[in-house]
Amino acid sequence: MNTRLLMTLDVDVATPQEIGAVPYGTRRVAPITGGNFVGPRLRGIVLPGGSADWLLLRADGVLELDLRVTLRTDDGALISMKSFGLRHGPPEVMAALARGETVDPARYYFRTTPRFETAHPTYAFLNRLVAVASGDRRTKGPIYTIHEVL
Amino acid sequence: MDSRPLLMLRLTTAAIEEIGATPHGRLLIFPVIGGSFEGDRLRGTVLPGGGDWVTTRSDGTLELDLRITLETDDGALIYMTFTGVRDDTNHYFRTLPRFETASPKYAFVNRLLAVGIGEIRPDGPVHIIEEIL
Repeated sequence: MNTRLLMTLDVDVATPQEIGAVPYGTRRVAPITGGNFVGPRLRGIVLPGGSADWLLLRADGVLELDLRVTLRTDDGALISMKSFGLRHGPPEVMAALARGETVDPARYYFRTTPRFETAHPTYAFLNRLVAVASGDRRTKGPIYTIHEVL
Repeated sequence: MDSRPLLMLRLTTAAIEEIGATPHGRLLIFPVIGGSFEGDRLRGTVLPGGGDWVTTRSDGTLELDLRITLETDDGALIYMTFTGVRDDTNHYFRTLPRFETASPKYAFVNRLLAVGIGEIRPDGPVHIIEEIL
C-alpha cells in the first residue's frame, strides 16, 4: 500500500461525557475544544463547535472511535473530517492510557480511516481520497499522523 | 504507513438495479451473488445476498457502500462492509473495509482496519485488501 503524508492533526480533548453502558458497549463522548493541523498541502486549526469523538468500548475490549471535526485552513476554507478508528492493546497499556499517562504509541494499536468533505476548490482533492492515520494518545488529546492512500 | 496482505476478494455481480436520481446523486445497486476470497489467514466464498450501493456524486466520483457476507472454508461467517471512492478520471479506486465475526479463530478481523485497492476486470470487481499495521 502506497501512502503519502497528508497532515499531522493535534486535537485538544475536554473532560469526556460518560454516557455509560449502552446496548453496544460503554459509550463516552470526548468533546474537542480546538487543535491544529499541518501538512505539505494544507494547514490550519480545529474548530470547537461540531467537533468530538464518540467512543465505544466494546465487549471484546476494543475501543471504537468515531471522530468528527471541522477544520479551518489558514486561507479560510472549511473542511469536514470524519474518521472511524480502533484502539486496543495489552491491558496494562490500556490502563496506563486511561490514567492519562503518556505511552509509546508502538505499544498499542491506534489506527483510523479519515474521509473529508469540502466545498472549497483548492481542497477539492480531499473529497476524492481515502486516508489512514496512526494515533498517539497524549494527556491533552490525541495526535494523528494522517496519510493519503495513493 | 505499514500494511500487510489480508485477502484478495473477487465478486460476482448480477444485473445492476438502477434506482436513479436521488437527492444524493444517481444511485446504482450492484447485487453481489457470489465470489471468492483468499489470503494467508483466511479463504472461502462470498455468499449471495449482499451488494454495493454506488452513488454518483456531483463531482463525478462514485461513492461506494458495500455489504457482503464471507464464508470461510471452515464454515465461519464474516460480515464485511466498506465505503470507498472510485474516481475513474484519476484511476483511483480505494476502499476502507471493516469486518465483524463471532468466530474466535477469525476474531483478529474485528480488531483491524484495512485498505482496499479495487479494479474492474471483465469477470467482475477485484479488491486487493491489506491490513493496516
